[in-house]
Amino acid sequence: MDANTEKLAAPLVEVRDLKKYFPIRKGLFPRHVGDVKAVDGVSFTINRGETLGLVGESGSGKTTIGRMLLRLVPSTSGEMNFDGRNIVTLSNRDLRGLRREMQIIFQDPYASLNPRMTVGEIVGEPLRIHKLASGKAVNERVQELLLLVGLQKYHINRYPHEFSGGQRQRIGIARALAVEPKFIVCDEPVSALDVSIQAQVINLLQDLQERLGLTYLFIAHDLSVVRHISTRVAVMYVGKIMEISDRDSLYANPLHPYTQALLSAIPIPDPSAKRGRRVILHGDIPSPVSPPTGCRFHTRCPIAMPICTTDEPEFREFGPGHFAACHAVEQNGGQRPDLTSGPILL
Amino acid sequence: MALLEVSNLRTTFRTEDGPVTAVNGLSFQLERGQTLGIVGESGSGKSVTSLSIMRLLSSNGRIESGSIFFDGEDLLAKTEAQMRKIRGKRIAMIFQDPMTSLNPVLTIGEQIAEAVRLHLGLDHEAARKRTIEVLDKVRIPSAHARLNDYPYQFSGGMRQRVMIAMALSCDPELLIADEPTTALDVTIQAQILELMNEMQQQTGTAIVLITHDLGVVAETCKNVLVMYGGNMVEYGSASQVFAEPRMPYTQGLLASLPRVDTDGRSRLQPIPGQPPNLLRLPKGCAFAPRCAQRLPVCDTPVPLFDFGGGHVCRCQLYAETTPLATVGS
Repeated sequence: MDANTEKLAAPLVEVRDLKKYFPIRKGLFPRHVGDVKAVDGVSFTINRGETLGLVGESGSGKTTIGRMLLRLVPSTSGEMNFDGRNIVTLSNRDLRGLRREMQIIFQDPYASLNPRMTVGEIVGEPLRIHKLASGKAVNERVQELLLLVGLQKYHINRYPHEFSGGQRQRIGIARALAVEPKFIVCDEPVSALDVSIQAQVINLLQDLQERLGLTYLFIAHDLSVVRHISTRVAVMYVGKIMEISDRDSLYANPLHPYTQALLSAIPIPDPSAKRGRRVILHGDIPSPVSPPTGCRFHTRCPIAMPICTTDEPEFREFGPGHFAACHAVEQNGGQRPDLTSGPILL
Repeated sequence: MALLEVSNLRTTFRTEDGPVTAVNGLSFQLERGQTLGIVGESGSGKSVTSLSIMRLLSSNGRIESGSIFFDGEDLLAKTEAQMRKIRGKRIAMIFQDPMTSLNPVLTIGEQIAEAVRLHLGLDHEAARKRTIEVLDKVRIPSAHARLNDYPYQFSGGMRQRVMIAMALSCDPELLIADEPTTALDVTIQAQILELMNEMQQQTGTAIVLITHDLGVVAETCKNVLVMYGGNMVEYGSASQVFAEPRMPYTQGLLASLPRVDTDGRSRLQPIPGQPPNLLRLPKGCAFAPRCAQRLPVCDTPVPLFDFGGGHVCRCQLYAETTPLATVGS
């Protein structure tokens, strides 16, 4: 293998033991009293051209991971490599070059577009900043981008308030595509949209991926959407990845009790659908300020064992590309533990 | 007699751009002890329907025409003082956001006890007892101790439990739940839906569940009402509507949903176009501009067609094959 093909075979994004602690300061002369451990040691890779789905409930740290990858928030520790370059140590000047290659689409299409700028200015701004076009060429390129995302050329002189939510999300996508990135962090891009519009945007993202060879990190809390769009899926819980696998084996054979509960909780829009027994988790999601000891899911796990409260389970591969961190899976010889029986500790 | 009977309800709002028609001729009935799911996307009029029933419209909103009968009484003829006796006692409501619908400067004990003292006329001690009882019922751990906590000391799911406790504290005959689980995580949503189902079985309260989530409706409601552009476009039992959706809009909604229980590989079929502009609702079918099967006749007002067994749909495609519905059109 020559150097070039070797580079192409390597993952586009590699993350190792990434952490982000947000300090909590209190008092008149603020002193450091603790940390919000938003991301507490996660590792994953994203291959070229694939979509990694990142799911988790509120406070699991999924958005923070996306922001750290773009260095919109600095990481506390850990490694992040993008296309063979270390993102963590990049100088500010090199960072600008990096941001040409990675972009982000935000959740709220109402808050992420400047209301005082026209669509032409919003989508054209990255072109000017990165000196990709100037003068008339900017408008031509913007119009090209608008057509690409399913808007019209004449939309270029309009303001965001003249568009509906789905159309605004298209403007945000056009802005991200302006610099011809390789990698896009999609942070809940369809969560604020109505169902009929959501499908339009999902299809657009899939078409663009195919046409432009994009790689996505798709962050969402909706497991149905994530299943639809992802190649592989990572499940987060309170700052940690609990399970990661290719899409089909994760949904067909979820190993971690949390993944099982999460999947069984999704309401299915079909009253006649046959479904397995629903696992209803009790209690609330723990605070990331003081995550539970041992496995951080043990406070809600229906099959928690004494060891789960003390020892943190290792993140291990139980099938090809199927990783999970769970003592019960380990003891069960890598098979899915049955949630409806077994010792119930809490 | 139906517990709730809404006929030809039309609610408008004055805005700077002109009058907005949020609900446009809606009719439906709800029997005692039943669960009705009202589904629709933003702007379909589902929340305004519930606010119209409760007579809680903002000052620029007005019920233009129609009637709302609750247990045989005309709610639109009631004075504000009479409505206050009904709200919270006979008709209770749960809102989407449990943080903004609880008073942040009162303890949750005070907030629930207030309703109980007012509506049931209990004294201080009895109200406290009743409060603990309902908090226990919704499974707030150590309810007697948490009475004195403020809303911010509860998590989102716990706050929604408090809201349910408050709503059920006076044994209402009708509970209107407006997107009760939309702000919650999926594992917490499952807890709350289970709780609501259980409460209904115990108390027999009729429920109107307003949501945009077809999955939630399919799992909790007996009957489903689909709204679009301020009016009902399809109504039937959940099994009828989900197995055999008649209205192209309902079919489109179901086809645009990614599902976890199918192989997840087929391409989604979105509904093209945008939701209707409520400032300029078309005379005919509000969905016609986005409908692949539209006919010339769709530009005129559309009646309801009756598919039998209570399943009705407002769509001209069925004009030749299906009889007109006799009521509620």
